[in-house]
Amino acid sequence: MSSLPSGTCHQISSSTKGVEMSEVSYPKEVIKDLIEGRLPWERVKSIISGYKDRDRFDKYVEILQEKMPWKEKILLPLTDELYIVEKGNDRIVKCSCGYEFGDYRENWKLKALMHVRETEEEIRELYPYPGAPDPHYCEIREYYCPGCGSQLEVESVPFGYPAIFDFLPDLDSFYSEWLGRPLKTRKEFKDLTEELTRKWGSEE
Amino acid sequence: MEQKNSKRGIGWGGKTLKQMLEEDEQLFHETGYYYGLKELPLMKEDPLRMEVFFSRLLASAVAGRETARMITASPFVREVGELAVALYTPEGDCVLQSTGIIIHIPLMGEVIKWMISQDYEQDPGIREGDIFTSNDNQIAGMHPLDIYDIIPIFYQEELVGWVGSVIMEPDIGAISCGMMPMGATERFVEGLRWSAEKTGTNDKYSRFFETRIRHGCRFPDTVILDRKGALAADIKVREEVKRIIGEFGIDYYKRAIRELIEGERRAQLERVKTRMVPGRLRAVSCYENYYSKAMVPAHHRVDRITLVPIDVIIKSDGKFFWDFDGAGSWGWHANNCSPSALRGGACLLLSQQIAYTGKANQGTMLCVELNTPYDTYVNPSSPNVATMNQFSVPTNGGALIWNLNCRAFFSRGFIEEVIASALGLAGPILTGISHHGGPAFPPGATGSTPSGGCAIRDGFTGWALFLPNPDMGNVEVWEMATPLNYMGTRLLPDSCAWGKYRSGYGVIFTYLVYKSPQLAFEKLNLCRDEMIHPNIGMFGGYPGSRGFARLLVNADTARLIEQEKPLVHGMGCSGEAKLGIDVKGKLEVSTLGAGWFEGIAKHGDWYQAATPGVAGGFGDPIKRDPELVKQDLDNGLLSIERCRSIYCVEATYDQKNEEWIIDKEKTAMLREKRRRERLANGIPAKQWWQKRRQDLIKGSLPPLLKDMYNDSLAKGKRWPGEFTAFWNLPSDFKFH
Repeated sequence: MSSLPSGTCHQISSSTKGVEMSEVSYPKEVIKDLIEGRLPWERVKSIISGYKDRDRFDKYVEILQEKMPWKEKILLPLTDELYIVEKGNDRIVKCSCGYEFGDYRENWKLKALMHVRETEEEIRELYPYPGAPDPHYCEIREYYCPGCGSQLEVESVPFGYPAIFDFLPDLDSFYSEWLGRPLKTRKEFKDLTEELTRKWGSEE
Repeated sequence: MEQKNSKRGIGWGGKTLKQMLEEDEQLFHETGYYYGLKELPLMKEDPLRMEVFFSRLLASAVAGRETARMITASPFVREVGELAVALYTPEGDCVLQSTGIIIHIPLMGEVIKWMISQDYEQDPGIREGDIFTSNDNQIAGMHPLDIYDIIPIFYQEELVGWVGSVIMEPDIGAISCGMMPMGATERFVEGLRWSAEKTGTNDKYSRFFETRIRHGCRFPDTVILDRKGALAADIKVREEVKRIIGEFGIDYYKRAIRELIEGERRAQLERVKTRMVPGRLRAVSCYENYYSKAMVPAHHRVDRITLVPIDVIIKSDGKFFWDFDGAGSWGWHANNCSPSALRGGACLLLSQQIAYTGKANQGTMLCVELNTPYDTYVNPSSPNVATMNQFSVPTNGGALIWNLNCRAFFSRGFIEEVIASALGLAGPILTGISHHGGPAFPPGATGSTPSGGCAIRDGFTGWALFLPNPDMGNVEVWEMATPLNYMGTRLLPDSCAWGKYRSGYGVIFTYLVYKSPQLAFEKLNLCRDEMIHPNIGMFGGYPGSRGFARLLVNADTARLIEQEKPLVHGMGCSGEAKLGIDVKGKLEVSTLGAGWFEGIAKHGDWYQAATPGVAGGFGDPIKRDPELVKQDLDNGLLSIERCRSIYCVEATYDQKNEEWIIDKEKTAMLREKRRRERLANGIPAKQWWQKRRQDLIKGSLPPLLKDMYNDSLAKGKRWPGEFTAFWNLPSDFKFH
């Protein structure tokens, strides 16, 4: 860590199950600049190459929480716009704009607005060179937040493939076993998406 | 050294290697610790001594690798560095690895374990100075061009370990020249094969081994010199290990190598627990094998798309579980995968993404579990299956796994580790006559792809997930080897994956055929993506462009030279000549399926390979910093049309100062307008679901996709239920 400017981090030593580990901590301002893409690359590189800071998650969430226009507690950032937050006894996916998608165990994409690029012109806009995807075989699906119109994800999958549930975190194991502070309620670690599609099917 | 009495083994304390291997596996199974090590006394009592010990061993492996590079004749090795060296325990567990093509590190260990299980100790015997060579992917490996040379290390008449070197060859005499001939659709046309054979004794390869190489492949000098380089590397490590044993003592060595593995196992679990988030991450990969027009046996001429769904489970104990349930069928083409190749892929990914301390070894691999259903694309049932491109899933699916892991890094806050990933690789495979008159040597150097966009910056232009090819080495050296002149390496404008942070730009390599009377070019696409782009974008970024290749034969290059006109260096920007327009001839464009270009090239003809590589963009493109957009415009890498339509940035060109000026007000208006359009025109996902469900019920999709889904519905255990539940279809649904 000698390449780091002095005073920007501190390093202590601890023992984990017989393996000596070094601990590093960065000031909140450094993490904030990192998140915003403002930190000089040389500094970022030294962070990448150095020991990882164990208090990162808490600082990260604290910084993100301060940026949000809403008060629900962030349990886990999912993307650069979506967060799993605690709302009463529920855990829901919420956009930075405040739009709420519902239970985090249900694929949020099914509550989003969508556009599928189907025409040659739409495909060529993205792919000017030979070898563009064929919309008869490949769906380029854009998912938008119904609250703010942000493009939250783009999916490129075979035509007819289910919407991909990119990440279903095991929040209770994370908080109780990895962070050592269990959440106030427990939720079954289960994909609830098919309950929604079953409901949609029964409405047809 | 005399072969010992058959009852007394060559392993530690008179055990046989088989006994040691059984003990190794049993102790891990029973205790969960590598070799049952609940404590790490050496590491605890004197960690600095352990560090010195490790550093000495690691330095020997790295030095061995460099030694091989100085001996080899192949630019793949000397210039690009397509080799690696590793040290193993007597049972074949990796203790440490050099830099290089680390995808092979666990696989050389699998060859050692296979030899032990086949009782090589009895027959053919294992002695000091023996050399074992393997490139048989039924045993272990990525593809037959990667040849493993493995030697035992004896100390005081006990086998204390093994050294293995891997080098990729340019050719081993397969059905056509080159690294991954797509026409090799079954095992028996893959060229020379060594099935963990004893190829030498007393540190010298046998004469028969050299004769087989001389008579069996297109570049025997290269293959033989590579073997000598590999052997030199192995011997260098072996002798250094003996010296280190002399310094530290044999008892310390035996205990310390086990502690290095168990220590790394614990460190890997700890790294996952402190940098990631447990849960289920999900992706799907597709493999498009279009062989109906390829020059292969009639029953291999099949077009097929195969699904390989991927679930990455990060377990609460810190282990990874990669589940490929739902994978479709293997086929008679060059692009099947295997569990061994997937373990190689796991080593590659983990060594670069999270276990990059330089200590990755068997301990890292003990933290990964795989489900590779039998008789599928990732675990073929036929022993005769082709293995030329087992990279297909590690490169295509592996890039997706990289992307998934990055989502867990992002959630945990380690955003500096987030790169949306990229696939590889497009490049020429050729056969014909060289400028020296012999067989034409295939060029390398086109492995480079851009990286995906990062969470905090744009992607890198030179990057490769799976090998160090972004550093192509010296062009002049390649020009000595191949009948091609390098005319240029250019960035491809508008080829990036769009996003708030875009990927790096694709690269196009331009080659002028030099003094070859005939040259045929084969199409190569490791990743098998063609009509279906991989799902590699992240958080609103798009997947990027694919690779392609162009061949111009009967070119009138001589006319241009005579008239002192510009030649071709790229796609034809900035006054350079355009292929097929300024240089006339017969132009063929390939999107890199399987097969050969029709044209036969000769001196003065042209070949171009573009490697955008399908990277992923990061974030919503309309949130891109207009200043970054300006940089791309100023650098000539972004067209104003796409600047407006994708980034929603308005700009005008200032002729006087030769730069683009961003109109901030109009940009804000364009972006607001795009948001409103999305909200007004975007359809609720439920509506899409209802329409698409009806499409599936009516069978309104191409026959190849129906076959693809039916295949996975028949093969999978968990996946079919999830597919039918998502679409609310009967559990026995099939496409007709």
